[in-house]
Amino acid sequence: MQQSYIVDSANAPWKRSATEGITFACQVLLSGEDGGPEALRFRFDDCPSVYAHMHLTCQFQLLLKGAMDFPRGVKHLESLAIHYTDHNMPYGPFAVSGSHDMLVLHPRAGGIISMANLDARRKINLSGRLFAALAADAQWQPLPGVDNAAYIHLMPPGYGPAAVVTRTPAHAALSMPAAEFGRYEVVLEGSVIVGGQEIGPPGFRYVRGDQAAEPLVTGDNGASVAFLTFDRDALEGGITGEGLSVEAAEAMARAI
Amino acid sequence: MTQTQESNETFRVAVFADFTCPYSYLAVDQIDRLAREYDVKPLWRPHWLHPDTPPEGVPRENNADTAARDERRHAWFKEMAPEQYPRIRFPTKRQYSFHAFEALEFACDYGLDFAFKTAVYDLMWTEGRDIGEIETLMAAAERVGLDPVELQIALVERTYAERALDAVKQAHRIGIMNTPTIFLGRTRINGWHYYEVLQSVMEKQGVRPREALAS
Repeated sequence: MQQSYIVDSANAPWKRSATEGITFACQVLLSGEDGGPEALRFRFDDCPSVYAHMHLTCQFQLLLKGAMDFPRGVKHLESLAIHYTDHNMPYGPFAVSGSHDMLVLHPRAGGIISMANLDARRKINLSGRLFAALAADAQWQPLPGVDNAAYIHLMPPGYGPAAVVTRTPAHAALSMPAAEFGRYEVVLEGSVIVGGQEIGPPGFRYVRGDQAAEPLVTGDNGASVAFLTFDRDALEGGITGEGLSVEAAEAMARAI
Repeated sequence: MTQTQESNETFRVAVFADFTCPYSYLAVDQIDRLAREYDVKPLWRPHWLHPDTPPEGVPRENNADTAARDERRHAWFKEMAPEQYPRIRFPTKRQYSFHAFEALEFACDYGLDFAFKTAVYDLMWTEGRDIGEIETLMAAAERVGLDPVELQIALVERTYAERALDAVKQAHRIGIMNTPTIFLGRTRINGWHYYEVLQSVMEKQGVRPREALAS
């Protein structure tokens, strides 16, 4: 089954909200209510400690603006940066600052559960992966087959989930292989034309299926695009209707 | 004796850690609790985080960046270890841990290493003492019933230096990268984790708490 969702973030409404005393603005870009992907955009107000939590699906966080600081482990992230976690992999507490803006991208509805919840601690995925990287630390390389284009790996090739950012001139076709477990294709700069519409940053397409999707075509000013591809962990976890997942779904619903 | 009790006796619990790591300090209470609640005898082994630290230690920098880092670190500990946080005293310098590793070997010879490590952590993290100083390690020895003067001689003469270094090398050989790294039977946990995680790992490997064995 081929899935494809195209989202123009510029036209999605913003809402002010709070969770556990942490204040932010958010956009619900894809709700996941149809069993498909869940995509949210958050702008946290500066905060020294966003509480430790986990989601019940794997997740890409794409930091578009500002900074996130993790006192333990990951340390300091500045945009553009990626933070990936497998399902049920806790992270935080972390600090946010500098006009924070990020996309939170799940293959399905993932809920949110505070690690203050003792039951949640017993459901932690001990073999789960957590990976973070800054684009500024990666080395740009020429993109084969496209003149004046370049790409970086934000995650090491072969890691499992993949994160690649491309920078391409106008009217270039960006073909990617099929995404069996799902892939977000996020416009970071410029614009792309897909499905008959032109989307700018941080709009995106989500594709999933065993067939390669229609190529993205860059707009008149070229584009920078992040391709964030899930692996098999995208099949794990999620909102199943049992105890903890009900709580996680309710907590996310309250938050957004 | 039940089958589970027999298996508990051979169920190995080992922690690789550096006394100077605050996350390892948080693991002390957890592993002590594990030893109380389960029929296991945890082993505490060294993982030397900063071998470049001189015996007198390295003063911490004081600038806007470190102040911001400190604020975030305090926020982390306040949330993750609310019971321990009020009594933690973060040191003003990076301390030298190798003498404490030597002293741990000394305590091991008397079967008091498990209690000794707790005393060393307490002195450093709640009483603000410098574990790079032999007097601090002597105080830890006295607390657990070891002869402080005998320890002092052993440290001055470097009696346990080679053994401590071998232990550090062993941690390298088995690829320890995080402090603490906790081995619970077949499961390796990299970095500090919640006590409920340790309980859940024990349960998954069929190890039951003493309370359950007694009932």
